[in-house]
Amino acid sequence: MFWTVTNAMLEGMGTTLELFALTLLFSLPLGLVVAFGSMSKWTPLRFLSQISGAPKWFGWFATFRPIKLIVDFIVWVIRGTPLMLQLMIIYFGPGLILDNNIWGSGNSGRFIATVAAFVLNYSCYFSVIYRGGIEGVPVGQREAGQVLGMTKSQIFFKITLLQMIKRIVPPMSNEIITLVKDTSLARIIAVSELIKVGESFMKSDGLIWPLFYTGVYYLLFVGILTLLFGYIERKLSYFR
Amino acid sequence: MAVLQVQNIEKHFGRVQVLKDISFDLEQGQTLAIIGSSGSGKTTLLRCLNFLETPDGGKISVHGETLFDAADPATQKEKEVRKKRLHFGMVFQSFNLFPQYTALKNVMLAPELLAKNNPDYNKKATSEELEAQARKLLQQMGLADRADHYPHQLSGGQQQRVAIARALAMKPDIMCFDEPTSALDPELTGEVLKVIRGLAEQKTTMIIVTHEMAFARDVADQVIFMDQGVIVEQGDAREVIENPKEERTRKFLSRYSGS
Ligand SMILES: Nc1ncnc2c1ncn2[C@@H]1O[C@H](COP(=O)(O)OP(=O)(O)OP(=O)(O)O)[C@@H](O)[C@H]1O
Ligand SMILES: [Mg+2]
Repeated sequence: MFWTVTNAMLEGMGTTLELFALTLLFSLPLGLVVAFGSMSKWTPLRFLSQISGAPKWFGWFATFRPIKLIVDFIVWVIRGTPLMLQLMIIYFGPGLILDNNIWGSGNSGRFIATVAAFVLNYSCYFSVIYRGGIEGVPVGQREAGQVLGMTKSQIFFKITLLQMIKRIVPPMSNEIITLVKDTSLARIIAVSELIKVGESFMKSDGLIWPLFYTGVYYLLFVGILTLLFGYIERKLSYFR
Repeated sequence: MAVLQVQNIEKHFGRVQVLKDISFDLEQGQTLAIIGSSGSGKTTLLRCLNFLETPDGGKISVHGETLFDAADPATQKEKEVRKKRLHFGMVFQSFNLFPQYTALKNVMLAPELLAKNNPDYNKKATSEELEAQARKLLQQMGLADRADHYPHQLSGGQQQRVAIARALAMKPDIMCFDEPTSALDPELTGEVLKVIRGLAEQKTTMIIVTHEMAFARDVADQVIFMDQGVIVEQGDAREVIENPKEERTRKFLSRYSGS
């Protein structure tokens, strides 16, 4: 029985890993885009402040930053509601509202919807981390590069990038470890990830230990990630 | 002719005017000290010279070449600004060393990146040459044995001396120092002032913003006293500090009497 369970679990683990990897693959770069959006300084109404003798409230419109406003709103909604709820809205929403399940039927449709929800959610969380990393590098670093005649790209690649990465690694590793465990939420729309596989033995064979046994897999996975991030942090610890 | 000519510089931040009609000349090999109370615009002036701020009015020329003219947008193009900056070296109050590089690499980085633009760039030969130059500069700063240390392994005074070497490595026409010792403990101030004094003796053209009046009097040739964005008094260093003509200068200096 142990081997039957283990084989089933490895399959569930495969789904979990796939969800984990695809989420990172898309949300790591997308998070950077979101971060740039939330730092956008685009002020299309800037010209209002140039009008001489304009009333004071023109000044408020002049500093209106539409991209930042929209992006900050999205990030607020995503970080302010449970991922489980987002997952259900994304999977069931289109069917209810448009009368059309855009995700396709069956397992693959559910899996794609899950990846979409996870990417959206984690992009927002990552964006906040990226932003902290970017804004955390003192302006003096960029200015020191400027007065030494460096180009913008030299300043980014030779000076700020590594300092950003160093700042980002600890909060990023936290978030990624959370993602490992969040993958279990996919069960809510019947994606056969690890927990769901473990649970299935309760119904079919009346066994509870397979469900507890899933914990071993999460622990191993998180253990490997912890070692990996520890290694990266140590690699970057030669400077402050 | 003067190395540096600054003519009628104006600078506003929003509605606040921070620099008003600033004009002065600086001769080759001379040291100019800028003194004045907090908020008088000293840092802003140095930042304008280094193109970290764009003045709203006025002209800046080096060796007779107009680097900046507020009336001529052609002098403000990003790509040319980068080249023009190289006329000036800048030493910041907060050092701003690059933490991920050793002292040596901090000094070598910018010259190396610049050398890559040369048509006959040879990586090995260039980096050997630049390393020799950097080591020599560090030695001149009394840091020969600290070349392989990272900034966080150095004291504030040592970090500031690396920053001075880093600026010198670009061979600027004019070195600018913005309160180079005010982030340092008193016991570390001396070692930094000593290397600046050494540079003055070698006839390096320098502008130093400082609150060290005795240092300004003894090392600088010229002194400018600024207050609320204007130059109140300028002249021979010893003369201005020991015999100020303006009431405002006298009042400012009386706060430092005894030093
Ligand atoms: N980026 C900025 N935006 C708005 N105001 C600024 C900015 N930088 C400086 N100021 C203002 O300009 C004035 C001059 O500042 P500056 O830093 O040049 O003074 P300072 O003479 O260097 O003073 P300190 O001795 O304290 O260094 C101050 O009133 C300051 O508040
Ligand atoms: Mg200042």
